[in-house]
Amino acid sequence: MTAAKQHTVRAVAVGRGLRLHRFQTPGGLPVTVARRGRIPLVAVRLVLASGSAGDPGAKEGLADFTMRLLRRGTAQRDAHSIDEAIEFVGASLGLFAGEDQVAVALTTPAEHLPAMLGVLSELSRSPVFPEEEVSTERERTLGQFANDVDDPSLLADRALLRTAWAGHPYGHDVSGTRASVASFTRQDPAGFHAAYFGPRPAHLFVVGAVDPDAVATQVEEAFGPWAGGPERGVEISPAKGMARAGTVVVVDRPEQTQSQVRLAGPAYRRGAPVQFAAQIVNVTLGGGFTSRLVREVRVKRGLSYGVGSSFDALRAGGLFSVSSFTKVETTGQLLSVMRQEVDRMRERGPTQAEVEKAQRYLAGLFPLRTETNESLAAVLADMALYGLGDDWLDRYRDRVYAVTRAEAREVAGRYCFPEAPLTVVVGPAERLRPQLERFGPVEVLSADDVL
Amino acid sequence: MVPDHDAPVVSLYTFFQVGSRNERPGITGISHLFEHMMFNGAAKYGPKEFDEVLESNGGRSNAYTTQDATVYYEDFAAEALDTVLDLESDRMRSLTIDDRSLRSEREVVKEERRLRVDNEPAGLMDEALHALVYEAHPYRWPVIGWMGDIEAIRREDCEAYFRTFYAPNNATLWVAGDFEPDALLKRIRKAYGNIPQGPPVPAVINSEPPQRGERRAQLHHPSRAPSLLVAYRGPPVAHPDTLTLDVLQFILGVGEGSRLQRALVYGKRLAVNVGVDWSWRRDPGVFAFHLELQPDADVQGAETALYAELTRIAEQGVEPREVEKARNNLRAHLIRELTSNSGRAHALGTYELFLGRWEEGLSLAEAYGRIDAAKVQAAARRWLDPTQRSVVTLVPEDAQT
Repeated sequence: MTAAKQHTVRAVAVGRGLRLHRFQTPGGLPVTVARRGRIPLVAVRLVLASGSAGDPGAKEGLADFTMRLLRRGTAQRDAHSIDEAIEFVGASLGLFAGEDQVAVALTTPAEHLPAMLGVLSELSRSPVFPEEEVSTERERTLGQFANDVDDPSLLADRALLRTAWAGHPYGHDVSGTRASVASFTRQDPAGFHAAYFGPRPAHLFVVGAVDPDAVATQVEEAFGPWAGGPERGVEISPAKGMARAGTVVVVDRPEQTQSQVRLAGPAYRRGAPVQFAAQIVNVTLGGGFTSRLVREVRVKRGLSYGVGSSFDALRAGGLFSVSSFTKVETTGQLLSVMRQEVDRMRERGPTQAEVEKAQRYLAGLFPLRTETNESLAAVLADMALYGLGDDWLDRYRDRVYAVTRAEAREVAGRYCFPEAPLTVVVGPAERLRPQLERFGPVEVLSADDVL
Repeated sequence: MVPDHDAPVVSLYTFFQVGSRNERPGITGISHLFEHMMFNGAAKYGPKEFDEVLESNGGRSNAYTTQDATVYYEDFAAEALDTVLDLESDRMRSLTIDDRSLRSEREVVKEERRLRVDNEPAGLMDEALHALVYEAHPYRWPVIGWMGDIEAIRREDCEAYFRTFYAPNNATLWVAGDFEPDALLKRIRKAYGNIPQGPPVPAVINSEPPQRGERRAQLHHPSRAPSLLVAYRGPPVAHPDTLTLDVLQFILGVGEGSRLQRALVYGKRLAVNVGVDWSWRRDPGVFAFHLELQPDADVQGAETALYAELTRIAEQGVEPREVEKARNNLRAHLIRELTSNSGRAHALGTYELFLGRWEEGLSLAEAYGRIDAAKVQAAARRWLDPTQRSVVTLVPEDAQT
């Protein structure tokens, strides 16, 4: 298939009736277009391969801060005219930072796609980070931290992240800390943009009822001469186990009537072949509504409204974690039940019947993961970023069905806390301490320590 | 039935026309607690078998309860369709309510309340607001119910509730995805055809007296930042101003370029976040503003700044361009809801619930097209009336005192 201008559009069938159309702009931006459906809303996603793991020391939160400022002024327009350009036509824009990537996600009525590609190009190429906007955003982020103190679940997640990954570039929340954010001046986001933005480490995805050749021409018009950027994303050293395994970290919130509880141990990096067996283990232990944890914690004992487990896999490493919450009085009991179920899974793995049930569950619901244009764009972006392969969507179900009980059991043995896990609890420290001491040495932090 | 053969999946929604508005003091929260009981076994599928069978067949389920409705839904692999119809019709026909499950679910719901209300300032404020806005109408109490009532609800209350509200004449079924409609209709008839009709559902009496002036409440809480919740009494969904208020909501608070974002977050830097909530309700609802403030913000100043923006609209109106922008966004929002099977089934069920006929929902974009700047100004004048206002302030307090 050839396109209108000098670029060549190459089509790849990736299974399930889906074809990806690929080309590069003259400046070197890789573009993938997936044509599908009839809905007149198009999803656009620009992904760059450096995220919060690239935040310089003492400037934690910089990737996230930079992203939020992209829309607050460019060489061509001020914040208000950018907002108007996007929002007037009914488009919407999201700016995200993760550990391994930053992303701009745009959803637009199809007829406005060319104009929105123009806006996207402007935000990516020529943000100016006006002093006034930098200071507003800094104050707003600090204000948000003050409001976050009241969210126990969020405090627990932040405490988990910084303790589990202590000493590693993943060991801070993507939004940073009060001290780091307070230090931001316009040089910081401008520096992040200069260091990490450019077509080389980027990839643009367009998904919807579009003509790939027409999109190629529109993208070239919008991004054509944009060139440069680092060859690849920031290098992240592999994670080396968990520094604080076995510790019980308590974030003290004296007035709470309910504790938030987290357990975590090291797991695999994104794309590792073990992921399919790991998902079988996860579904059986703490995914869905009929997992072992839900049965023991919620159904049998009424200890909590929710309990679940998950594998979070990133480029340089991953975590296996279990989370729940319960009234302060039953925190120790909840932790015992959680630990007991993880131990049982590690020792014996899932049963054959459980393996088969988890396979049907994962395979049956898999099409929902790419049901909307936005979700397909996000999955395509992850496939590219983490090198999951073009056959990822097509082969997912076969790979899930290929997992044997022996493999699942081996994976459970490896990741279901063979070493004592890190424990994080948010709640009234004084009342919790006697319930927690049997799980490991207790270390008490204040909410300020994790913000 | 909304067939779509793009992917081998189906979503099924069951809407029951019952929510906290159908409750009475003493059993507040029963609609929501009952939603939990619907997963605890019926004649054919025993306790907890519902999700067990569903997940084993490549599906997942959930449910939610509001003031006006209780909604159950499943997403699943297309080949599980018969199984799902069997599961859903089994519990509508023959739910069993035993004391043991009730005891256990009661504890689960109490944890849910501790999560969403007791340890969450926004939840506490919302609860305080509704108790302020409504003196007589059941919208006064929270959907999750008061803690004492959750504790007190008995098995007999649940049984009576099931008989009254969970009959087929009080429910609608919405299916979207990979199926053939003729065959599906036959299967639905077979699964549900012999479930008897229930008694007529008792009408909800609205004896809300008129409001004769602003009402205020303060909530002391050991939080770091103050926060403000301001609500005006609004109309019921059937009122002709409902769609105009949708437009007003978008002009004021949806998007970074909306009036309140610009004025309070970026201009005066008083608020960290601003939300404008206008949710359709069968009975008169509320048009509400939630301002998360900077820790050192002057709360009174923030309140004054908010009112100044509202007065500006009432007095000077809005630009035609702002109305057009709101319409474009409402249209995109309507389309976005229709981009998944689950979204399609849910949107149609919601239209039927609130607008009487699902077809009405499909012409909403045209209906928004008939709203102009003059209508928006008139609605702002009528509904953002200071005497019809209720204000809840979150006052930060030291945890140690």
